[in-house]
Amino acid sequence: MKKAEGVIILWSLLLFTPHAKGTSYSLPGKPTLTNCRSPEKETFTCWWEPGSDGGLPTTYRLFYRKENSDTVHECPDYRTGGKNSCFFNKNDTSIWVNYNITVVATNARGRTFSDPVDIDVVYIVKPNPPEKVTVNTTWDKSLPYLRVSWEPPHKADTRSGWITLIYELRIKMEGDDEWEEHPAGQQRVFNIYSLRSGGTYLVQVRCRPDHGFWSEWSDSACIEVPDYFHQEKSMWILILIFSVFILIILIWVIHMNSHTLKRFILPPVPGPKIKGFDKQLLKNGKSRDVFSSLVGSDFPPTTTNYEDLLVEYLEVYVPEEQELMPEESKVPHKSSYQSETSTSDCDSGRGSCDSHTLLVDKSEEDKTMGQQSTQQGGQTERDLKRPEESSEEKYLTYSHQLDQPDSPDCLFPPGPLSSHFSPPGHKPVLGSNYQEFSFGNTQPHALHHQTGTHQYLQDYSDINNANKEAPAGFRLASVRSTEYVEVQRVKNDNMVLLHPVSSDPEQGGPERRHTEDYSKVKGVNNDNGLLLLQRKGSDKEMDICSYEDQQMSEPVDSGYTASIAAALQKTPAYVHPATQILDERAAGGYVDTSIFPLPTY
Amino acid sequence: MALRTRGSKIFMTAVYMLTMCRAVPINDLLNRASQSSDKMYSLSTGLTQDLATHISPMSWPTMDRPALCHTSVLPTPNDKEQTLQVSESALMSLARSLLQAWAEPLGILSKNANTLPHPAKDSISSKIQVLQEHSKNLGDGLDILSGRMGPEAQVVSILPYHGGTILGHDRNSKLQKFNFLLSCFRRDSHKIDSFLKVLRCRAAKMQPELCY
Repeated sequence: MKKAEGVIILWSLLLFTPHAKGTSYSLPGKPTLTNCRSPEKETFTCWWEPGSDGGLPTTYRLFYRKENSDTVHECPDYRTGGKNSCFFNKNDTSIWVNYNITVVATNARGRTFSDPVDIDVVYIVKPNPPEKVTVNTTWDKSLPYLRVSWEPPHKADTRSGWITLIYELRIKMEGDDEWEEHPAGQQRVFNIYSLRSGGTYLVQVRCRPDHGFWSEWSDSACIEVPDYFHQEKSMWILILIFSVFILIILIWVIHMNSHTLKRFILPPVPGPKIKGFDKQLLKNGKSRDVFSSLVGSDFPPTTTNYEDLLVEYLEVYVPEEQELMPEESKVPHKSSYQSETSTSDCDSGRGSCDSHTLLVDKSEEDKTMGQQSTQQGGQTERDLKRPEESSEEKYLTYSHQLDQPDSPDCLFPPGPLSSHFSPPGHKPVLGSNYQEFSFGNTQPHALHHQTGTHQYLQDYSDINNANKEAPAGFRLASVRSTEYVEVQRVKNDNMVLLHPVSSDPEQGGPERRHTEDYSKVKGVNNDNGLLLLQRKGSDKEMDICSYEDQQMSEPVDSGYTASIAAALQKTPAYVHPATQILDERAAGGYVDTSIFPLPTY
Repeated sequence: MALRTRGSKIFMTAVYMLTMCRAVPINDLLNRASQSSDKMYSLSTGLTQDLATHISPMSWPTMDRPALCHTSVLPTPNDKEQTLQVSESALMSLARSLLQAWAEPLGILSKNANTLPHPAKDSISSKIQVLQEHSKNLGDGLDILSGRMGPEAQVVSILPYHGGTILGHDRNSKLQKFNFLLSCFRRDSHKIDSFLKVLRCRAAKMQPELCY
């Protein structure tokens, strides 16, 4: 407070005085203490900045007061620290003690005090830079590195632990702007690796106490790194070139075998190959067209094909006795039939259905008859206009299914084999040569013959002789001329004995060929019986094998001849009674076999 | 907190046992102690700087007479020569005494930190707590060290604190007192650190690279 008042008074006096005297002298400007530093925590120096001198010579004095003491001391040394400095030597320096320092500027006019500053020596330590910085080039396995070493500033007492210094160095190449700094801790030696061959480097070191300020950087130490060859690098270069070379070779090899590789990795996917299938149409999205093309050509199989197949299948089989043995295993009348079996017929082929062929005995019979029958059978078979699938199926299935007593044979569509058919219980017809057909449940066999005769029943005119050349599978030879098979007798157990009737008017029994002998097929009854009409009249139209079922049994006795175009087999054939059924729709005495309900096999 | 103190106690016990069984070299212990004191000093310096940041030095309440720290009654060396003349045990005793004297004031500071009229009082408060922990750990470590030194090291001077539990009633006095206490602690922590580092170098005769 006193000081402030004094200052104010002085100022006012000074202000007035120049006005009075006309000269511009003033108090000195206020000095300011810039900083105080201690290099080793034992001495310290304070510097101040003088203010304006006021036109008069001004002196500066520094006063200090220690903590806990009112004694004001003046700076002991104004020179050591330079101009406007005050140096406190060891004797005057106390640590862990607050100093209150003030600088006073004095001139003729008066004095000016600076702001007081409180300092504690331990907080203002800034050491001198490290000394004796040396850099050496050292070799480590033909690789050079720099070894930098230095000394602490000579004043700093690190030995006793009074001051602990931490170092830091920086390095750069001559000409560079950026320094690379490395902290070094408390050590005095430092190694620098990864040098550029033949480069010149500059190194500097600085230090600081554990709780203080960084020193200035030391003077640069210059060093030139000798030229050296980095062997490791060359090795890597060699490896790189080698691997590139191998890579090129690999690429070339792959390129040469690109096609085989492609096939190996991505095998071609087989595309669908459907005959008549047009991929383009499929892509266009017209499925109708696509499939219609398929349909048009081969699928579904047409009638002709079917018939061909049937023809193939319905092979006239003139088996040997032992051949037929397994097939007739289920035939109860095996023995009897066997006796009637004839020797092999050269002309007749062996069909896949041969076991089920109508077992017609034609051994004694002329073979032509058989042929004719077979032909007829084949033709009629071919003329079958019923649903091909079913008939064929039935036919085929029959060929493989011997034991289906209930199902009509493939051979025998519902229509009766001939007029000689008789429903169960039909009276047998006697005859020298007869074909014995057994109807019914026992062993529907002889599909062959059944179908043949059935067809023969229907339409002779349609018979063409194409089947004569039928493949071996089905050698139901087409009947060139109408052949008749006469029912000789009808056995009780659904067996009809047929005998071929020669077409020649002079042959056979013309007496038999009374018109009344021929019956028109009236229709097919429900349980597979062929309804025959007794006919009195046209004998030329005896194509029709009229047949009468059991209900109308009288005409049976008159000897109906049924044009059995069945494949005449030596072995008797079993005729399913169902085949006797004739449809009412039979027109003109012709039995349309197609309309016969096919028995299911 | 309790866990940490317990943990530090266990650690110290373990170190003690180890020292007994395996005789950990004293210079290692001193090295660790000096590192710990170094850390403590750094913490205290940070605290004082935090306190001074938001308050202009001009508005700092001036003190007519600088008050004395409560630890000033303890005679400590004031310069290098004096310090180097003190024996190791005495130095250790001084360090321990100083450290012990600040246990209570640090607690008072910690309690009053929340109500300190200062914008950074939360960080100050947390830092003071950390400082307390650190001081406690160092004290335990020094206790173990002193066991390995002369009998004089066992002497701990009691330096009671009479400043009272409450720093002040008004804003200025509170801040003033807080600042004063922190400055006293900072100095004392520096003293402790210096003494320990001198001791470290004295014990590191086998490791000249540390103090050469």
